[in-house]
Amino acid sequence: MRRIWGVAAWFCGILFFLPVAWMVLTSLHSESDAATNPPSLAAPLTFDGYAEFFDAGAWPPLINSFSASIGSTIIVLLLAIPAAYALSIKPVEKWTDVLFFFLSTKMMPVVAALLPIYLIAQFAGMLDNISFLTLLYCSMNLPIAVWLMRSFLSEVPREILEAASIDGAGLITILRRIVAPVAMPGIAATALICFIFSWNELLFARVLTGVVAGTAPVYLTGFVTSQGLFLAKVCAAAVVVSLPVLIAGFAAQDKLVQGLSLGAVK
Amino acid sequence: MDSSGLDSSGLGVRRAVGFVAPALVLIGVFLVFPALWTLYIGITNYQLTGPAAANPRVVGLDNVVNAVRDPLFTNSVWLTALFVLGSAVIGQNVLGFGLAWLLRTVRPVLRRTVEGLVLLSWILPGTVVAYLWFAVLSRDTGTLGMLLGSPRTAWLVQYPMTSLIIFNVWRGTAFSMLLYTSALAAVPPSQLETARLAGASGWQTVRDVVFPHIRGHVLTNTLLISLWTANDFTPFLLTAGGPNHRSEVLPVLIYRQALESGQLGYASAMSMLLLVGNLVIALVYLRLLRRRA
Repeated sequence: MRRIWGVAAWFCGILFFLPVAWMVLTSLHSESDAATNPPSLAAPLTFDGYAEFFDAGAWPPLINSFSASIGSTIIVLLLAIPAAYALSIKPVEKWTDVLFFFLSTKMMPVVAALLPIYLIAQFAGMLDNISFLTLLYCSMNLPIAVWLMRSFLSEVPREILEAASIDGAGLITILRRIVAPVAMPGIAATALICFIFSWNELLFARVLTGVVAGTAPVYLTGFVTSQGLFLAKVCAAAVVVSLPVLIAGFAAQDKLVQGLSLGAVK
Repeated sequence: MDSSGLDSSGLGVRRAVGFVAPALVLIGVFLVFPALWTLYIGITNYQLTGPAAANPRVVGLDNVVNAVRDPLFTNSVWLTALFVLGSAVIGQNVLGFGLAWLLRTVRPVLRRTVEGLVLLSWILPGTVVAYLWFAVLSRDTGTLGMLLGSPRTAWLVQYPMTSLIIFNVWRGTAFSMLLYTSALAAVPPSQLETARLAGASGWQTVRDVVFPHIRGHVLTNTLLISLWTANDFTPFLLTAGGPNHRSEVLPVLIYRQALESGQLGYASAMSMLLLVGNLVIALVYLRLLRRRA
């Protein structure tokens, strides 16, 4: 019985993996081998597709994506950690209303905010500007970050906080010595989730950026349109654009699991 | 606790408010203010080009009335409902729970590997997965058609909604799987053992022993994946709403009305209706959750 479940588990995993396997395999083929259908497993492997992708000017959009994702993740953490701490300590009554307000903004269809945000960017003279996109990603990730962080910070035992406070420890000491060690895995998980969400965002990047501030996903959509016939090259591009989130995801698979399930349920 | 409102951790009300305020301001500027603005645009005849672009006029609820009478809009509502029901409420929920239940009993190494593979489809950029599916499903060069021996079937053209639903199940199941995995870990093993000794079938065990424990998780998960699916823009990358509006879910319709037809006021009114739809889903969920208590 156990064996059957094991086989079934493998089968499901492989089924989910197939399109990705196809992408990685095709990206390592020469264009003529990539054109065969179904893809040949025996064909020689080459990095030509990758070389051509980088030669085609892939660096600026990749750098844009990195600055928007990393920048917004850092700002989100700087804003979300104090906010979540204050919310989990609950010095004010009706604090849960604030929390629900945070969460409720996640129910808004993003497409509904598209036009006003475009007009704001236009008004501020910040169309095609990566700083604007960074700030926008901050606000989009803040609700979920506060929500996640709060559930991690509620794990800090209240009695220890009280004991430290009575012993005369100040706020900074409490945060550094008691809260930080318990909350570190949560902070890491939140950061990775924010990074992945910002890196993958397409709708706003597509509408708000142009030649200067275009991000990697935007560049990839253009690349698919213009180079669609060159399967190997496009697959190489797709692998490169996926790589940062894949690394982020697998660096913290367990934390990701913990973070998602905690944040969603509590 | 003294009059300055110091609490157990010495934070105090003033500092607590100061901690939360910056986050609230940013959310206010980039999420709340745009939402209110959309409400306003929704009651005007604002357009991208033409006379109404320079001087939009307030037309009240005309846009909403027009939307409800518009066959394209009602078509879109049905497709969105189908998409949410088929791919999220049923597809991701059932498959996610099934995988979590399956992986409970297998070896840890295998479990981690399969979880990782499923997670892959969830964390990859939407552009990448859309391209992959496009390549796999397209007519002449598609790998699926080749493997099934039907190279002439253009899946995205002939079965657009079915393709989108299967795509979204593949895309989103990881979240449900992870959530149910942690939920199942909270079910007391002794109760499962008792059920097994009493000779309960797998289905009976799930229904009578497991489900009462994870009801809250099921509801939370269903709410989240329903909202994500209802607001998902990825279908645009796969079918762009076509052919002939047959896969035009609401976010795609709104995007096309706004940016392709330039009907900004009308599109904003439809966003408003989508927002109302989201609220209805959330309220139903809160109702069900409260009934538990």
